[in-house]
Amino acid sequence: MAMRLSRRNIMRLCRAHGLSLNALLKRAGVSKTAFYHLLYKESVLPRSIEAVAAALGVRASVLLEEADWESRRALCLLAEADRIAGSDPSMDRDNVRHTLLLLEEKPIERLQRSLIRARKPDLHE
Amino acid sequence: MPENLIFTSKEIAFLRELERHKVEFILVGAAAAALQGAPVVTQDIDLWFEDISDPGIQAALRKSGGIMVPAFGQNPPTFAGNSVKLFDIVLTMHGLMSFAEEKTNSFEVSLGKVKVRVLDLARIIKSKEAARRPKDLLVLPVLRDTLKTLKRKKIRISLPS
Repeated sequence: MAMRLSRRNIMRLCRAHGLSLNALLKRAGVSKTAFYHLLYKESVLPRSIEAVAAALGVRASVLLEEADWESRRALCLLAEADRIAGSDPSMDRDNVRHTLLLLEEKPIERLQRSLIRARKPDLHE
Repeated sequence: MPENLIFTSKEIAFLRELERHKVEFILVGAAAAALQGAPVVTQDIDLWFEDISDPGIQAALRKSGGIMVPAFGQNPPTFAGNSVKLFDIVLTMHGLMSFAEEKTNSFEVSLGKVKVRVLDLARIIKSKEAARRPKDLLVLPVLRDTLKTLKRKKIRISLPS
């Protein structure tokens, strides 16, 4: 079964992040030409993968797994923090890193993290 | 994330009533900076009102069960009551222009079902630089780093208003 890019899923995620498609592509560093080329492709997977899946009688997605996505994401963030802080010696790298982490969240979640409110202590004996 | 994980139902009611009565206010201070990505903590949410005598404020307070304590000695007016004590009243922002002028340096952010107007981080920094209270001086390096990070990433945390 061919694996295609889902325009609907991409737009849904854009809305969830408050981004337009153009803003997303700009942030991702992907050209519109490259994006639309992929979007209209019959399948984004190499033909050989499709063939292996067909031979096994399974969906191509069954053959795939994310290669340590969380650690790659964290490394990307650290590299970006290094790049930004490295461009200005007056900047604190931890401030940049924490800001980048917060920017991945919605404004309401950032506000929740910032608010210190007294909480009832747990008095379990 | 639902807004009721941050605000109590009465606090949400207060903000929604301010919105319903078209009371002009801007969220400023550390909470506003946090909304824009600054890794800071705060105990309250500062609301800069254009006109503290706006009848809409009293109407919102009545609806949410809060009261406003008038200015006393050196103390500015404050909100009192569980439903509104999270919010601090700000009447003037050091080093900034008038409310109407600074409104052009603000933008709307959606906090769940409530929309609030938030002062741009660069203006928050300018105000803290002018106020120069010890707590402002402590937080300024973090705010400046956040602003620089936003600029490097070419991000503006805003919604069309």
